[in-house]
Amino acid sequence: MSGSYLARRFGSALFTIVLIILVNFILFRALPGSPERVILRGTPNVTPAQLEAARERWGLNDPVFPDQFVAFLGATVSGDLGYSFVARGQTVGQVLGQRIWPTVILFGLGELVAIVLGLALGAYSGWRRGGPVDVVGNGLSLVLYSTPYFLLGMALLLVFATGLRWFPTFGMLTAGADYPDIWARLGDFGAHLVLPLATVGLGLVGQYAIVMRSSIVETLSEDYVTTARGMGLREGRILRHHALPNALLPTVSLIAINLGYVVAGAITVEVVFNWPGLGTLAVEALTARDYPVLQGVFLLLSVSVVLANLVADLVYGVLDPRVRT
Amino acid sequence: MTAAGASWSPPIPAGRRAGRFDLLFRLIRRPEGAFGVLILATFAALALAPELFVGPLQTAVTAHGTRLSPPSAAFPLGTDELRRDMLNLTVHGARVSMAIGLLATLVTVFIGAVVGIVSGFVGGRVDAVLMRITDFFLVIPTFVLALILTPIIRDLVGSGSTEILGIRMTLIVIVIVIGITSWSSTARIIRSQTLSLKARAFVDRARVIGAGSGHIMRRHILPNVINLIVANAVLVFAGAVLTETTLSFVGLGDPFQPSWGQLLEAARSVGAPGLGAWWYFVPPGVCIVLVVFAFTLVGGALDDLLNPKRRGRG
Amino acid sequence: MTVAARSAAVGREARALPRLAVPGAPLLEVDDLKTHFRLAGEVVRAVDGVTFRLDAGEALGIAGESGCGKTTTALSLVKLLPANASIVGGAIRLYGIDLATRSETAIRRYRWREISIVFQGAMNALNPVARVRDQIAEPIVERLGIDARAARRRAGELLELVGIPRARGSAYPHELSGGMRQRAMIAMALACDPAIVIGDEPTTALDVMVQAQILDLLERLRERLGLSLILITHDLSVIAETCDRVLIMYAGWVAEEGPVAQVFGRPRHPYTQKLLAAFPNIQADRRTLDVIPGSPPDLRMPPPGCRFAPRCPLAMAICTEVVPPEVTFQDRVRVACHLYPPGSPGEPVPVPADVTVGPA
Repeated sequence: MSGSYLARRFGSALFTIVLIILVNFILFRALPGSPERVILRGTPNVTPAQLEAARERWGLNDPVFPDQFVAFLGATVSGDLGYSFVARGQTVGQVLGQRIWPTVILFGLGELVAIVLGLALGAYSGWRRGGPVDVVGNGLSLVLYSTPYFLLGMALLLVFATGLRWFPTFGMLTAGADYPDIWARLGDFGAHLVLPLATVGLGLVGQYAIVMRSSIVETLSEDYVTTARGMGLREGRILRHHALPNALLPTVSLIAINLGYVVAGAITVEVVFNWPGLGTLAVEALTARDYPVLQGVFLLLSVSVVLANLVADLVYGVLDPRVRT
Repeated sequence: MTAAGASWSPPIPAGRRAGRFDLLFRLIRRPEGAFGVLILATFAALALAPELFVGPLQTAVTAHGTRLSPPSAAFPLGTDELRRDMLNLTVHGARVSMAIGLLATLVTVFIGAVVGIVSGFVGGRVDAVLMRITDFFLVIPTFVLALILTPIIRDLVGSGSTEILGIRMTLIVIVIVIGITSWSSTARIIRSQTLSLKARAFVDRARVIGAGSGHIMRRHILPNVINLIVANAVLVFAGAVLTETTLSFVGLGDPFQPSWGQLLEAARSVGAPGLGAWWYFVPPGVCIVLVVFAFTLVGGALDDLLNPKRRGRG
Repeated sequence: MTVAARSAAVGREARALPRLAVPGAPLLEVDDLKTHFRLAGEVVRAVDGVTFRLDAGEALGIAGESGCGKTTTALSLVKLLPANASIVGGAIRLYGIDLATRSETAIRRYRWREISIVFQGAMNALNPVARVRDQIAEPIVERLGIDARAARRRAGELLELVGIPRARGSAYPHELSGGMRQRAMIAMALACDPAIVIGDEPTTALDVMVQAQILDLLERLRERLGLSLILITHDLSVIAETCDRVLIMYAGWVAEEGPVAQVFGRPRHPYTQKLLAAFPNIQADRRTLDVIPGSPPDLRMPPPGCRFAPRCPLAMAICTEVVPPEVTFQDRVRVACHLYPPGSPGEPVPVPADVTVGPA
């Protein structure tokens, strides 16, 4: 892969991240209540000297642009996101740190499951177009696409947790439980994970299946697939070596573009199942008007999406030799 | 097929209205188009005059059922925790959800179309800057941005009970926020079409005559992107309804003017799924799914109609 | 010795016949082939009774306007028709083995090893994400069972054979020029050493200089490898230069067929004459181009009788009623036209043309 392709992608991602921090900065300045609340809140007995020192550190005595922005930029990059309005004495960074792993696990696994299942389903539907899998799958996918994730979650909760009692109804672990060993703990964790994971997975599978299906259908009508058939190659080989590598290209792009929207769904799924991740944190912070934490969540999620897009770009570069020049 | 001029319809001379209704008729002739339009028309009727169907919106004061009771003869969709009739709430919810969706769509499409046309037509540095901004909004999770902006703008606007078009200010703020965060895909689509129109002869002809840029954009480009805007607006509407629902679900709705999303939020906070009170969240949920599904069908059918290259595929 | 004869000699030496081959059968015989499309509930009779023969070492050109069925005929030969098309009648006999009636799996063994095809516009006919060398090696590995390394070596040899430096084999299709892509496609078509190569408009997308090179290459390959060619094109000059015999198709059926010198020198069928007249001649006196008025018939409801009758300046009453029979004359030209009924001496009847000679 050529250096200039890499450089362009990295540069673009970096620029977007700076813009994200800029948005955060504007909000920081525009928030009801002075910026001092953000940088000092929760610290008891602040002396005027400490206040002045903090103001100095954050550059609040300097002109807004570019000095304050640069200071803000520096602070953000070094992890200093100010103090939570609500969680006494805790920095935003600390608050985020406590809630990040449940989200990563839920969301990461959900995406993985959805990508594998969705691409497989879509490829098969496109290959056997008009067949039973295709027709049923397509219909289901369309309906799932119109359903907000949290609604799906609530329905699953109702049926499988309340109704059938197969799974617990909320949280990540049973409250106050005592685990004899690591396996019991993992088991309980897994039981709690199933329904939210299923929700995220189902919500995503439909989209990926639809995209992959239409991609495969389009690829199968290309001349090189006709040539491959003309060569007498076996259908399985044609699908694997000719159709799939080409069909994956637009699919990868669309998965990446989709990520921003998926985040919204992930937040709400956490709320439904009371999963202690960034999503529930965001809603709690919203209710309590804890703006610094909200901005922290925005920063974290946005930067993650940008980085994920970057990874997708790089993957695309590996898959498609035409963009590498 | 030649590379140039692969666009959809012959240019409409400035001043003559595009035949929008003929598109509607062609749409209805397709089964998925007819089905979608039927659903949308039903919900539009409910949304325009909910009192006609279920009477005025029940409040905690006027409610007369028992708390969280399942569907019965008196209350076909059961009751909520404030003893209100779910059918009443759901039908009134249609008005709120659809109204917000419509207003948000207007704002989104307006911003998107303006940005798209100006960017595509003027080109150069303006285009580069506008596209950079557009790409930014396409990448970031706009929902989270909406999440932050809404309370901030609400606090700025103040909480009165002024209403615009019968919608409370708290919800108008949601309209604005959705508009601010959702315009980018519309802008991209409109810009593409503007670029291909710009390359066509009739624009050059107008320029030779001495028409100014604003005039060309308004009288020549706009009529030819209207069809595209309409098709895009349908899908934007679906997205706006979903976004409003989700924003309400996380607590930004208005309990005094409950949309479907707000009803779902109430259901969750009462713990309806855990209590087995399916009637609380299934009716508004089904309505959402139906409406979004219908919009998606119609939007897809319109897209097929306007883009003949896609016909015969799939 | 003609190119065809030399080619045939090499072919006999180089190639083993397939197991089911009928001894003494000609290389390829197409007998009354009918291929129909189903489009929006209607049947389009794209190929409606085409007969011809290809002998070892020969180069046959199939010419005609767009939509006359030449590509459909070619695709029928290798059974690469789209889903809505099917062969509804006739026979395609390769060494006497009828391919038309056999199933997809049964004829798979003949694909590429006996007949291969080169498409027009090689950009889409080459997999954009695979290296050229690997694409050429693929049929060698999959169909001939040769190991990957040997196959890549053979692919390199084939590239040299078509005039591409071996090192370029590691390139991707988008990195090659149009002419080189076409050559690569030809190399790919030769991978399993087939008896017949079909070229569907192989030079249409190329400029004239490159076109000449490709045609020259095909001719040399013919001689060296003992190949037989079927060239599908609307460009008569390509056929004139490269082919031994020519088949003129119109609206799904054969108008005239025979040795190139005869058909182009003494055209009999009015359509052939019009076709030749419509072709600009760079050396002739300046004159207005002779255009054939009207357009080809709708193949969902072809006209009764001769399909060219509605546009034919010499049409008679019988032409719109009876399908003209195919008659072969002494100079080995076959014509389907009522002007040349069975038993007639077969003197070409000139078609009146709108000719204005002189400076335009």
